[in-house]
Amino acid sequence: MGDYIVWDSLGSGTKLVMNQLHYGGLAFMVLAYTFKIWQFFQKPLAVEGTPARGDHDRAIKYAFMTLAMPWEIESQWRHWFRYLEFGAFHLAMAVGIGWAFIVPFVPTVMMNPVICAFSQLFFILGFLIGISRLLRRILSAEMRLISSLDDYFCLILLTIWMLSGIFAAPLKSETYLFYYYCLASFFLFYVPFSKISHYVYYPFIRFYVGKHFGHRGTWPKKHTSVET
Amino acid sequence: MAKSEKAKSFNKNFKARTNRQHALSFAACVHCGTCNDSCHYYLATGDPAMTPAAKMDKIRAIYKKQNDWLGKIIPGWVNGREVETDEELQDLMDTVFGSCTGCRRCTFNCPFGVDTAILVGLARSCLVDEDIAPEGIKHVMKDQWEIGNQMGITKEEYIDTLEWVEEELQDELEDPDYKVPIDKEGADFVYVVNPREIKYDPRPLQAAFKIFYYAGFNWTMGSEGWDNTNFGLFSGKPDLGGHMGNLAYNHAKKLGVKQMVISECGHGLRSTQWEAPNWGKANPLPFEIISLLEVMVDLVNTGVIILDPSKNPHPVTYHDPCNLSRSAGITEEPRFLLKRACMDFREMTPNRGDSYCCTGGGGAMSMGEYSGRRLEVATVKAETIRATGAAICATACHNCVDGLSDLIKKYELKYDFGDGKPKLLPVPNVCELVAEAMVISKEEKKAAKTAKPDLKGKKILVIDDEPDIVTYIETVLDDSGFNVITATDGTSGLEKAQSELPDLITLDITMPGKSGVQVYRELRTNPVTKNIPVFIITGVTDFRQLMYQKDVKAPEGFMNKPIDNDVLVMTVNKLLEKAA
Repeated sequence: MGDYIVWDSLGSGTKLVMNQLHYGGLAFMVLAYTFKIWQFFQKPLAVEGTPARGDHDRAIKYAFMTLAMPWEIESQWRHWFRYLEFGAFHLAMAVGIGWAFIVPFVPTVMMNPVICAFSQLFFILGFLIGISRLLRRILSAEMRLISSLDDYFCLILLTIWMLSGIFAAPLKSETYLFYYYCLASFFLFYVPFSKISHYVYYPFIRFYVGKHFGHRGTWPKKHTSVET
Repeated sequence: MAKSEKAKSFNKNFKARTNRQHALSFAACVHCGTCNDSCHYYLATGDPAMTPAAKMDKIRAIYKKQNDWLGKIIPGWVNGREVETDEELQDLMDTVFGSCTGCRRCTFNCPFGVDTAILVGLARSCLVDEDIAPEGIKHVMKDQWEIGNQMGITKEEYIDTLEWVEEELQDELEDPDYKVPIDKEGADFVYVVNPREIKYDPRPLQAAFKIFYYAGFNWTMGSEGWDNTNFGLFSGKPDLGGHMGNLAYNHAKKLGVKQMVISECGHGLRSTQWEAPNWGKANPLPFEIISLLEVMVDLVNTGVIILDPSKNPHPVTYHDPCNLSRSAGITEEPRFLLKRACMDFREMTPNRGDSYCCTGGGGAMSMGEYSGRRLEVATVKAETIRATGAAICATACHNCVDGLSDLIKKYELKYDFGDGKPKLLPVPNVCELVAEAMVISKEEKKAAKTAKPDLKGKKILVIDDEPDIVTYIETVLDDSGFNVITATDGTSGLEKAQSELPDLITLDITMPGKSGVQVYRELRTNPVTKNIPVFIITGVTDFRQLMYQKDVKAPEGFMNKPIDNDVLVMTVNKLLEKAA
């Protein structure tokens, strides 16, 4: 068991990436997303003027909930392992992001062995699933065909970020902490240009499809074929 | 590389027509592959290029190049690319017309809800504007624009069919005063139908009219705007979609009806109820639009009609048409009816919103170019039907009736109805089974399945290469009072048509030597035989090119093999009466 990092004696480079660069990246990302969303709203909207058959509000809620209802979507329950992977991977990303923002404020809290172990567990999961997803993208002909360089780049970088998190999480090595924050800061600048932006589109597209299918009484699905 | 003129125009239109919903469906896809095995094209072929994401990436590439920040600067990084050549446009046509029916099964299986169907619609609309589309689609669009219905049926022909159905029902209902109301002002609803019911198979029409009769409805058919189908949906062209919708809406407004009832047609209901009011800026409409299925449910619920399931004793399953189950919210109504009209209703798996496409959607039935692929990928649906062990596969859509009938033949889905000779599964509309199960207070009688008195002795030429079939048709028609002559190949058939000048010709499609399609074209181009009605009786799907690719007049009638005696005689009566 080594010693924890002494926070006040962090190098200036580490402080720079943890603070100025990291928060600068965050500010850039917010600005970029604001512009991106504004651009989407410049596109005309296909307007629905017919009288509704179903319940919009219920369907919109349903559209947001289906991700947590594997029984509602065939591709989720049929490929349950991949679904679990998906859930764990995204949780690991959330932990990684949360960790990066919390550490500068309450480093001593994050040195708590339980929190360290919890964070490390998700970094390990994120790393392993990242490798699994990368292999699937490379080995499967179906996945290769649809993958762009951006798809590979994002996945490789996220996987390396998770790997750096495994070593940074115990807060015992400034070097790993530095790498971790370098990557985290890079992401904040790069993400608005990449496929990782998908989470920004998620609420909008789920709102529109939920409203669309709810209007026609198709969602929430009345039944699924799970019963048989 | 310099872009072709068509490619330039296509790219320009594509950019201008991309709306917010399109943009979100383009941008949100993360290439996760979750949708892969939701598509019957991929499941049947195992071809990676047939996954929904791979197919949509051909279109998404254009969006990425035009809109994505990195796609504009370094397009290769995100696979961004505009269309450059006419060959690429042809390839895109193959994808959006020939490899996707827009069934939206992948949309339901996508964690984001990427709406493949609207993306396909966008690409189709831009291709159509460059005159790049399957021939059948172009012909039908032209007919809808110029004549107002997808099969180019004249007003006279339409009225003739309604009158023919009227006479049939006068016999069946034993009510000589029975009338099919046309343009009746003050009617409660107008019934809007699929031209296939008028042109080729009036049985669903007859079943619906019979139900309306016993329900005592105050209803009407319209002399105009009676086509519920809409190739605006299949071509992605909202202007055509709005035009077709407005034909129906304006006539209904003129009649002052309270409701418009749509016959069992999946895309017909979707277009007329949900899409065309938006395309044609017709909202709000002064009447309600509902499905015949909803009308029948109400009739059963209120006890106006009573069903006796013992009249449909064989096991029945139900195929959910994509446009009803995923795009119009109709899933429970047909089940409600079938469970009451049939002794043994069997659920198909998957079903409702998860149901596989019949493979005939998205206008696929009118695209002869892609029939082979359509039937190849139909194996997925065929196996789900086979697993039910049902004798009858009911549905509520005319495209599905044709698509399912084709795949049932191709994959030999048969059922032994008790005579030891398994027969191919019939595919009726739900209303036909409901009409069959209705408990009627009067003595139940069916229309006489023989030649009508004034048609006895009419000369019918049967052309078919299979001697058993020739003998069978000859016997049925001969017993019914017709004068039958036969030919067992195309060449002798053409000779007899010219020398004997029959009143009607029944024609097989698959024959050695001169094929039925060739014979048909020669009959139609020969001044002596061009006006003789032709009744196609076939077990293959090639005849559809004669229906949709109208370089020659479409055949007057068609029927799938195996031959149903009642339908054979009924259709022959109808065609001869109309010819007279």
